[in-house]
Amino acid sequence: MTNRPNSGQLSASFRDPSGFLFSRDGVLYRQINRVYAGEYTRLMDSGLYERLVRAGLLIPHTEANQISSESESSFKVIQPERVKFVSYPYEWSFSQLKDAALATLSIQKRALKAGMSLKDASAYNIQFVRGKATLIDTLSFETYKEGQPWVAYKQFCQHFLAPLALMALKDIRLNQLLRVYIDGVPLDLASELLPTRTKLSFGLLTHIHIHAGAQKRYAGQDVKSRRGSMSKQAMVGLIESLEATIRKLKWKPAGTEWGNYYDITNYSDLAFEHKKQLVGEWTKKLQPHLAWDLGANNGVFSRVAGESGANVVSFDIDPAAVEQNYRQVRSAKEENILPLLLDLTNPSPSIGWANRERESFGGRGPADLVLALAVIHHLAISNNVPLPQTAEFFAEAGKWLLIEFVPKSDSQVRRLLASRADIFPDYSRDGLEAAYREKFNIREAVELRESERVLYLMERK
Amino acid sequence: MHFMPLAYLDPGSGSFLVQLAIAALLGLGVAFRASWSKIKGWFGVKSKSDDEDDDESAK
Repeated sequence: MTNRPNSGQLSASFRDPSGFLFSRDGVLYRQINRVYAGEYTRLMDSGLYERLVRAGLLIPHTEANQISSESESSFKVIQPERVKFVSYPYEWSFSQLKDAALATLSIQKRALKAGMSLKDASAYNIQFVRGKATLIDTLSFETYKEGQPWVAYKQFCQHFLAPLALMALKDIRLNQLLRVYIDGVPLDLASELLPTRTKLSFGLLTHIHIHAGAQKRYAGQDVKSRRGSMSKQAMVGLIESLEATIRKLKWKPAGTEWGNYYDITNYSDLAFEHKKQLVGEWTKKLQPHLAWDLGANNGVFSRVAGESGANVVSFDIDPAAVEQNYRQVRSAKEENILPLLLDLTNPSPSIGWANRERESFGGRGPADLVLALAVIHHLAISNNVPLPQTAEFFAEAGKWLLIEFVPKSDSQVRRLLASRADIFPDYSRDGLEAAYREKFNIREAVELRESERVLYLMERK
Repeated sequence: MHFMPLAYLDPGSGSFLVQLAIAALLGLGVAFRASWSKIKGWFGVKSKSDDEDDDESAK
């Protein structure tokens, strides 16, 4: 959400004429335009707002009428609760996207009961707030008129159903299509990629395959003048069918050490406990608001860091690890851990209109503290990034850095070097310290017990 | 049809038509279920409460 030049209006918020987000003195506000006054009043007066907020499905806000508005079209200014870390659907695990989809449908069902309907169903309108999929666009509601179809049906299928079906039934990595197609996976592409057997599922047959066929057949035809309407019963039937179809989609990682990540580490329990103890002590001392755990695996150390009260974004490249991490957040109702999918060697870019709609990974920082545990050898050796460049990257990502050095003698590094020439003469403890001193002051350096690994705490210069 | 004064999304021609067709079919199911639970009600079988969905998704 980069600020536009000469205006506080945020660049991810321009499509909907009902209002927009703007930031003033570091506080986030949403202007509600006069055209939306009736709908907003209905949302608040019908009790729908209250019910959705209580269920954790809608972001709470306060009215901030003392704030002067950005334009004459203003009806009201509200101040929504600030999301601690904005994430995007291509960074979510399977269950995160599934929960976001189910939250959207649950909101639509509750809205219908209150005589309203969602006028959009964008995955970008959902964020994880206190661990739960939450709608952050207070202006997504419109008055429901009997007979009216769901205007967001196509968007829902593209943003949620198609990617979920592809992830569950074709390949988990296909969620990355969302990084290319900002308005969701085109249904003809989803239809083509999905296995033929998915035509035997009523939900996938209708909402994806037939839907894609109809889009092609009727493309550009004027349907506004066509007669036809949809009863409320039909609307409910449609929403329930989407819900049932999505609930049936399941993904369980195969071929990964599901649930046993830390059984395959090569170091002793003592070293592991020592590492936990140091991470715990140092984060408690630093008291960061926002910590990024880069290469978090299933989030063991994110949780240790989270004990300091920090909001921890727990990034990993492995969809299975992120999935497991999120399931733990969900089952333990953890509020300050956000697991996300991220390839550190190719982090999320800024995308969308003018490359400003969705922020890059770095653009959402810096964090107060970056954890880079058992990750340096993947960057420096597997990905051939020179150590000084890794130092530069981490210095941009956060003020404090808690980094673990894994030496060449370590079996994990030996494995990485097994099939290739060792062209990394500088990859050593001394080499790392020399490279990082350019950007950081090294505050602590502790050798882990029963291990050749070293844990550092560094402060950016 | 002239509803949706605030709609800023294009519902898409094909999506619009296919939705009408699918929903008509699914609406029959909802209607059938509603009458079925009414019939069951005559025989004293209690049906699921209306708010059950709400409770479930609120967890």
